[in-house]
Amino acid sequence: MKGAFRGMAAIIKKEFARFFFDRRMLITTLILPGLLIYVVYTLMGSFVTNIAGDGNYSVAVKNMPGSMEPMFAAVEQFEISDADRDDDYYKSQVTEGGLDIYVIFPEDFDEIIAFAGTSGYVAPEVQIYYSSSADGSTAAYSAFAAVLDAYEQAISNVFNVNTGGNYDLSATSAATYILSAIVPMVLIVLLFSGCMAVAPESIAGEKERGTFATMLVTPVKRSHIAIGKIISLSCISLLSGLSSFLGLMLSLPNLMSGVFDGVDLAMFGAADYLMILGVMLSTVLLLVAMISCISALAKSVKEANSYIAPLNIIVVVVSLLSSFLGNPSAPLYLIPIYNSAMIVTDIMALAVSPLNFIIAIASNIVYAALLVFLLTRMFKSERIMFNR
Amino acid sequence: MQEILSVCNLKKQFKLSYKQQKLQHTDKKVLTAVDGLSFTACKGEIFGLLGPNGAGKTTTLRMLATLITPDSGDAYIEGYSVVKQPDKVRSRIGFLTGELKLEDFFTPNYLFNFFSELYGVPADVRARRKNELFSRFGIDRFAEVKLANLSTGMKQKVSLVISVVNDPEFIIFDEPTNGLDVLTAKTVTDFLLELKAQGKTIILSTHIFSLVEKICDRVGIIIDGRLAALDTVSAMTKEKGLEDVFFDIYAQTAGGVQ
Ligand SMILES: Nc1ncnc2c1ncn2[C@@H]1O[C@H](COP(=O)(O)OP(=O)(O)OP(=O)(O)O)[C@@H](O)[C@H]1O
Ligand SMILES: [Mg+2]
Repeated sequence: MKGAFRGMAAIIKKEFARFFFDRRMLITTLILPGLLIYVVYTLMGSFVTNIAGDGNYSVAVKNMPGSMEPMFAAVEQFEISDADRDDDYYKSQVTEGGLDIYVIFPEDFDEIIAFAGTSGYVAPEVQIYYSSSADGSTAAYSAFAAVLDAYEQAISNVFNVNTGGNYDLSATSAATYILSAIVPMVLIVLLFSGCMAVAPESIAGEKERGTFATMLVTPVKRSHIAIGKIISLSCISLLSGLSSFLGLMLSLPNLMSGVFDGVDLAMFGAADYLMILGVMLSTVLLLVAMISCISALAKSVKEANSYIAPLNIIVVVVSLLSSFLGNPSAPLYLIPIYNSAMIVTDIMALAVSPLNFIIAIASNIVYAALLVFLLTRMFKSERIMFNR
Repeated sequence: MQEILSVCNLKKQFKLSYKQQKLQHTDKKVLTAVDGLSFTACKGEIFGLLGPNGAGKTTTLRMLATLITPDSGDAYIEGYSVVKQPDKVRSRIGFLTGELKLEDFFTPNYLFNFFSELYGVPADVRARRKNELFSRFGIDRFAEVKLANLSTGMKQKVSLVISVVNDPEFIIFDEPTNGLDVLTAKTVTDFLLELKAQGKTIILSTHIFSLVEKICDRVGIIIDGRLAALDTVSAMTKEKGLEDVFFDIYAQTAGGVQ
């Protein structure tokens, strides 16, 4: 029965036309969010990088301990040269700016620290000469000191660790941690704002302007209006969310470059991105359905926005929770929003359970379907649609 | 004559919020807008509902158009109940009222196509009717201009054309000439007569006496949600003008005009 769905198709087409032919709407909901996030996060990243120093540091090291060499070699920012001339030459270089820092290790550093913890042990001194009047030098100083600190902690650890490997490993897991803690929350907040940009406008806005009533005198089924609206609004919100997500993912390497040696987005495979897309789609469906139902209760877009504000807070809090509670059990993936955040966390940590993934997606779709049913009831209600 | 509309004891009350009570200086919690209205309309006639502001004309027409449901009573259009078969009624009628707006963002052309889809009008029929109606009202000159950039009169023409997008046999017009200049108003009344000539049935509400005298076959006078008089226009205006007849009736039912 193609004819029966003509009305629904027309409504979907109209929502798209309303959106895609409106340059202002297109820019504010599709292009701007992604662009803004990219620019802001990249700026934040370069700010962090600036504090840590801009790009590379020239470092002259006397008596580089063999145990530390691979560690510094792993940090691309350090351009390390062996110091074979006398100290005064390098010190004047630091003062003049030809060199960022000059580091002197005791000659038998490795042998000395091997006795760490034994009685009569005297901690060796590492001297770092820098120039406090030069930003690059100060930054290089703190960066170098930070690496030494990390090394110090690593060797005073009760476990024996491969120091060269340790540094790399910690960088990756910290990056993964940030990804899995920040990304889900930011992603869901971005999706929510994507939905907020279109759904209240399309439901409460049409009610407010009297164009909804025009649709209600036509023989189109109320359920078709509800489904048509939810489908089209979800697609548009998803696009807006994808734009933000793209901006976020593209800016992550820039954001973290000051802290880490580059985050490799290639560590996620096509399957991971597909799963993220699936979560986004089901989340958007649910969010749009929730926001639409609330909007239908409101008499104007303004009123709708004020009704939705508390929901916004709940969504932020719930999606934040996901990064605090570790290893939730499968039934917890039935909790809307929380489940989406958890799945994204799992994907980012490269540890998704297929069962949890299916539970989350399926439950979101079921909730959305129930809300569509509710929305249909609301569209049939004279009190809700025509109350003044 | 074939009966196409029959209204049986239609009733509608509105609950008044505290704010509305204060605005209308009343302490009644419910307002009876339509109070047991019954009448019929026959195929091919123009039936006028005449009444002062707040008489319940718009409320009656909204019930006929299935936008709101009556508290009690029913109305049948082409035999279909507005209460029990609203979908059937909706596809058979056209409704024009100030409450129904068109989206400013779209062009008359887009909106005509959109509503044709909602009514399930076949594409070839749609193209033919669009051609006819757009040139009939001169909409073809601004068919691709967004509604936001059209004047009140132009917008009303577009609304009028879209209200008959499904070529309905039964058309409900609520104050169709409201806010229009005499020229545009004449285009509208001419169109109503044209529809009548095609055998369509029209029910229209108005408080303009001359409009009733000019185009209506029969008229029902509504006062306070009740039918105060119902007759053919020619019978009612046999002795004096419609305005004077109305004042007489009003004096009898509502206790005089101050
Ligand atoms: N949604 C509503 N809530 C409360 N009261 C309403 C509502 N709609 C209409 N009314 C009241 O019902 C009464 C009849 O209103 P209606 O709009 O039907 O009058 P009308 O005959 O069309 O008047 P007009 O000539 O001014 O258009 C009025 O007193 C109006 O205030
Ligand atoms: Mg009215």
